[in-house]
Amino acid sequence: MLTYLLLGGLTSGALYALVALGIVLVYKATGTINFAHGEFLMISGFLAYSLYVFAGLPYLISILGAVLLAFLLGAIAERIAFRPLMHANMVSLVLATVGVSFILKGSGRMLWGGRGDYLAFPPLLPPDPIIIGEIILVPQQLVVLAGAMVVMVAFALFFRLTRIGKTMQATADNPKAARLVGIRVEQVHMLAFGVGAAIAGAAAALMAPITLLYPDIGFSLFIKGFAAAVLGGLNSMAGALLGGFLIGVIESLAGGYIATSFLEVSAFIVIMVTLIFKPRGLLGLNAVRRA
Amino acid sequence: MMRGGKIAVRLLGPGPIGLLCFFAMLLLPLVANPYLLFVGTQLSIFVILAVGLNILVGYCGQLAFSQAAIFGIGAYGAGLLKVHLGWSFLLSVPAGAALACAVGTLIALPALRLYGLYLALATLAFAQFTQWVFLNWERVTFGAGGFRLSRPAFPYFTAGTGTFYIALFVAAILVILAARIIRSRFGRAIIAIRDGEVAAESLGIDLLRYKALAFGLSALYAGVAGGINAMTLGFVAPETYDLFLAVLLKAMIVLGGLGSIAGSVLGAGIVLILLELLRAFKSAQEIVFGAILLSCVLFAPSGLAGYLSTRLDSWRERYVRAFSPLQAGAARDAAEASSSASPVSGNA
Repeated sequence: MLTYLLLGGLTSGALYALVALGIVLVYKATGTINFAHGEFLMISGFLAYSLYVFAGLPYLISILGAVLLAFLLGAIAERIAFRPLMHANMVSLVLATVGVSFILKGSGRMLWGGRGDYLAFPPLLPPDPIIIGEIILVPQQLVVLAGAMVVMVAFALFFRLTRIGKTMQATADNPKAARLVGIRVEQVHMLAFGVGAAIAGAAAALMAPITLLYPDIGFSLFIKGFAAAVLGGLNSMAGALLGGFLIGVIESLAGGYIATSFLEVSAFIVIMVTLIFKPRGLLGLNAVRRA
Repeated sequence: MMRGGKIAVRLLGPGPIGLLCFFAMLLLPLVANPYLLFVGTQLSIFVILAVGLNILVGYCGQLAFSQAAIFGIGAYGAGLLKVHLGWSFLLSVPAGAALACAVGTLIALPALRLYGLYLALATLAFAQFTQWVFLNWERVTFGAGGFRLSRPAFPYFTAGTGTFYIALFVAAILVILAARIIRSRFGRAIIAIRDGEVAAESLGIDLLRYKALAFGLSALYAGVAGGINAMTLGFVAPETYDLFLAVLLKAMIVLGGLGSIAGSVLGAGIVLILLELLRAFKSAQEIVFGAILLSCVLFAPSGLAGYLSTRLDSWRERYVRAFSPLQAGAARDAAEASSSASPVSGNA
């Protein structure tokens, strides 16, 4: 029971970690939270489905397609809803991304089905569980875990080693100084929105075979990813990953040992408790305040 | 000649036009079918909600997503007291509103430690938590299916007409009350908080107290609207009070104008009409209201009230929140120098 719950928790936790990574990346680069982040995920999940099921393309190509589309969506969202408001106050920034999220959610519902329409993404591996001693493994969980690890490592290498990654780091540290040394801060913002969304796109293509796809999935994953980001510390990438796995395990254990319904609510409780008692999160740095 | 012109201008102001609309609404039950009457009741409810939310977001500058959930608490409170304890609406609606107000003030207390973005997200989490309680505390709330209520009985009127009048009078009273409150000491204090917390504090305004009062007041409005909504529908279910409604309410006040009572009323009316036109198309509703939010923030940041106040003398308002990106861009350096003061110019 425990190992089963832990493994399930880690699998969903890996997805939450990917969502949280995108949220934190955008937050660090721009100082705002993109409320449309979950909708990027939802749309690219549906796109991966269309490529894989309708167009009959191989799984890997469908994932790449979803990632590319998500990147474009993120970059466009930055251009439309963030750049003109860069110096406006927080209320307008948040309301603009909420507007984008609803436009995307409505579009997803219009294109891929009405309320309550769930699309089942066919699994890559046979769904029969593998039993090793006491441990029950579902093969698709291993695919998700491995895929998530690949994305995380690729992102870490990109962020630490490439020139673009370094300009992003510099902008996150101090936008004014970055501008002084010739970094185009606007481009970095666009890139952060795009890369953040691309990670969400990869997460969507990975999780689609396990969860089902439906238009409201974006918001529920956004909340989970946000809970992970807050728990880990909104300005810490490592915190986002740690928070993601923790949220996954916490909700899985709460669902298994308390009551199934607690699975859904534990993320909200974690958000409220963390914000009230330790707003900086587990690994967050100082100066998270932005009025 | 001049004087006649001036009086004509005055008569086109929000006050006289509002009064005219009120009297027109009084006559509505004489001509309307039950559907129109229901939409009219809904209008009053939306007006109460929008005005209450504008006090918190537009005047006090606190971006909270909890209004729809508190509306739900008001409705559940009123409905459940009637169903479980057999209270009449006369008692249960005020009790539900008081419960909503108490919860709204209580969540404000921890939320007040949080700034901007964090407040938005904490209240969003609270709203989702409330949804979960409505859905899962089945012994009390009857779960996902919701529960039915018997309609209220009125002397002389049918249930529909009676609730219509109650909603109309309550909305009128609460709108006038809000307009008075905004011009009081309390109103000036919360506007000062919106325009700069540090400056407000240095003037001796107790941030915690006034923010909590603003939260409580807006929760009271939402709670009253919730009770009336339960009466009107005769049915309470969780999905009425979800995130979609929260965004709908945001669209009303942004379209009407943040920091404008007349704007809240206008915004509520327009959003209700659009909602009724698109009733059958959930996806189109989401796209339209998302687009309204986005384009108002981008192109008309002070909303309809801001537009009217630059065109018509009688609509000139002092407190419309004008945070156009261009103005803010000009004030960029000042804003970056003092990161806590938001680049807002409040005087139109």
